[in-house]
Amino acid sequence: MAAVTYSKASRVYAKGAVPAVDTLDLGIKDGEFMVLVGPSGSGKTTALRMLAGLEPVDAGRVEIGGADVSGTPPKDRDIAMVFQNYALYPGKTVAENMGFALKMQRVPKPERDRRVREAARLLDLDESMLDRKPKQLSGGQRQRVAMGRAIVREPKVFLMDEPLSNLDAKLRVHTRGQIAELQRRLGITTVYVTHDQVEAMTMGHRVAVLSGGRLQQCGTPRELYDNPVNQFVAGFIGSPAMNLRTAPLADGGALLPGTVIPLPPGLPSGLSEVVVGIRPEHLRLTTKDNPGIPNGSSRLLSGHVILVEELGADALLHVRLDGDSGGDSGGVPGERGGDPVVARAEGRRPPSPGEKVTLSVDPADVLAFHPGTGARIAA
Amino acid sequence: MAVLEQAPPTAPAGPRPRAMSAREKWSRRLPLLPALLYTIIVTQVPFLVMIWYSFQSYYWNEPGGSWFNGVSNYAHVFTDPDFLNAIVRTVTMTVIAVLLTVIIGTALAVLLDRKFPGRGVVRTLIITPFLVMPAAAALIWQGPMLDPNFGLLNYLLAPFGVNHEAWLSNHAYGTVIVVMVWQWMPFMMLIVLAGLQSQPGDVLEAAKVDGASAWSTFRELTVPHLRPYLELGILLGTIYLVTTFDQIRLMTQGGPGTQTTTLPYYLYEKVNYAFDIGGSAAAGVVTVVLTIIVASFALRMFARVFQFEEAR
Ligand SMILES: Nc1ncnc2c1ncn2[C@@H]1O[C@H](COP(=O)(O)OP(=O)(O)OP(=O)(O)O)[C@@H](O)[C@H]1O
Ligand SMILES: [Mg+2]
Repeated sequence: MAAVTYSKASRVYAKGAVPAVDTLDLGIKDGEFMVLVGPSGSGKTTALRMLAGLEPVDAGRVEIGGADVSGTPPKDRDIAMVFQNYALYPGKTVAENMGFALKMQRVPKPERDRRVREAARLLDLDESMLDRKPKQLSGGQRQRVAMGRAIVREPKVFLMDEPLSNLDAKLRVHTRGQIAELQRRLGITTVYVTHDQVEAMTMGHRVAVLSGGRLQQCGTPRELYDNPVNQFVAGFIGSPAMNLRTAPLADGGALLPGTVIPLPPGLPSGLSEVVVGIRPEHLRLTTKDNPGIPNGSSRLLSGHVILVEELGADALLHVRLDGDSGGDSGGVPGERGGDPVVARAEGRRPPSPGEKVTLSVDPADVLAFHPGTGARIAA
Repeated sequence: MAVLEQAPPTAPAGPRPRAMSAREKWSRRLPLLPALLYTIIVTQVPFLVMIWYSFQSYYWNEPGGSWFNGVSNYAHVFTDPDFLNAIVRTVTMTVIAVLLTVIIGTALAVLLDRKFPGRGVVRTLIITPFLVMPAAAALIWQGPMLDPNFGLLNYLLAPFGVNHEAWLSNHAYGTVIVVMVWQWMPFMMLIVLAGLQSQPGDVLEAAKVDGASAWSTFRELTVPHLRPYLELGILLGTIYLVTTFDQIRLMTQGGPGTQTTTLPYYLYEKVNYAFDIGGSAAAGVVTVVLTIIVASFALRMFARVFQFEEAR
């Protein structure tokens, strides 16, 4: 068990190329479950491999338990890693796979067997499976063996690189819970890489969002959701994604079709437009019985429904606002006023496509971002 | 499996092949016939002739042609110490040479599996002996390399006190093995290298993270992974090395004495120097029978090697 620190750590694969991980500063507390999330190619795997020692640290430092390990080979770092494709040893049985690290530490055989069986029990792996070869296991079982290989060791840090990406949706949700629960029980510092923001939000104590090799924001799932520091994090975290659109500025507010949303004071001067962001659940459907003006400051947006996605408990309404041109910019969020907005509505009796609707929004729920830098404009 | 047990035991699993008329059968076989005839003429007919000769007394250099002498040729073969020695020598030389090619080939393959500047050039240089015709290689070894007075080897070893050593006379057995290894080691290296490069990288990384040293990783993971490749290499290497003829014919002529007379060379000598057609035919038949026994074991091993991947 140990804290992990990246301090100004960089990795440049080829001379002259842009860094795959760019001056990463990230502190992970002892026993914390930290999730690295970001789109494909954002440097998550690279950052993890730098911590494992499988990738050199070209600049800056990586520390485990306060000691600089930048030059330490992987075998001396006391870490355990779960690989995306599991990387089980094909010629060895499940028990031998799980006990391999202990064997390398010269742990005597009876002790090894005891710990392997204990780990197997912890992971719901059947005793009878311990003598099988990895080829004779299903994907889900292999995943658990890979987990088992990590947990028999009780290392300082667990590293996991998209360990659930080869599982089917249902098993993924189940295993997600199991891993989080296991980590809580063992209390071992864990760095978990995923590109799936739902996984990140549900599993991590804290989540670090990467993009283009740079850390965008690190915080609890709630912080990231409620207080994204920039447009990238706002758009990346949350499903369905936040509505982002560029709006011209007019008399102290952002001009949306049919209304003006007041913005916090202290806008940088010289701006003619801003990007406004509204979470789908903050666009409330107003009906006859629910006029939807909980306080006097709410603003109304009217439009018509063009698509309804029913999710069961609720439904997603794609609404084209009145006054928007019909042209769809191809789904790139927020780049042009004109995309339909997405609102979350009660799932029982959603409006049907073509119906006229009015959405209300509380200006306090509206986020504003700088159109050039994407930085959050906050009060 | 109750369902299966209830099924009628004689029920055919799939559609039964349609019965063919004799005419139809022949129209399918006909295109294969030329190849079959050719094979029979160039392999089976000579073999039958050889069996016939093996029961004859027939010396090229003696007048009177051939006459039937029963199994006395075979009796001679089995009592001829030269024949039995040739078999033993063939086996020992092959085993030693194959083991050396495996050890050296694996070591070089491990070396070539890592990245270093000039790897491509080194790889090509190491493979070169394999590309040289055995006869040409034998001549190069015999002359420029091993000549007692002008040979390169003696020149290089002179600083270490080696003085006009006649390698092919005084150390014929070892020298022939060295040349055999020189010729076949690259082949073994290529097979092992292919095996090494097919080992998934993440498994090796997992071993590093699991705390395995380079040597443990090699012993615990790489060697089991290489097993089918090594088996294949040993099998093919044995088949090639057992038939070594060019080097022995050109470098030692089986000598000095019979120190390097292997089975192929023994048979050759019996015909070409002793003119003993009947005796060499009998030795040939025995050799063929032995070869068939060994080869069928080898083929069974082949099958196992290739099923190995699926079986595990
Ligand atoms: N071995 C390599 N050599 C050169 N460039 C590499 C190498 N590995 C990764 N990169 C580059 O580094 C960047 C970050 O890659 P990385 O694998 O860390 O992304 P990732 O966030 O894990 O993406 P994904 O979600 O697709 O796995 C990418 O632009 C990638 O092209
Ligand atoms: Mg990755």
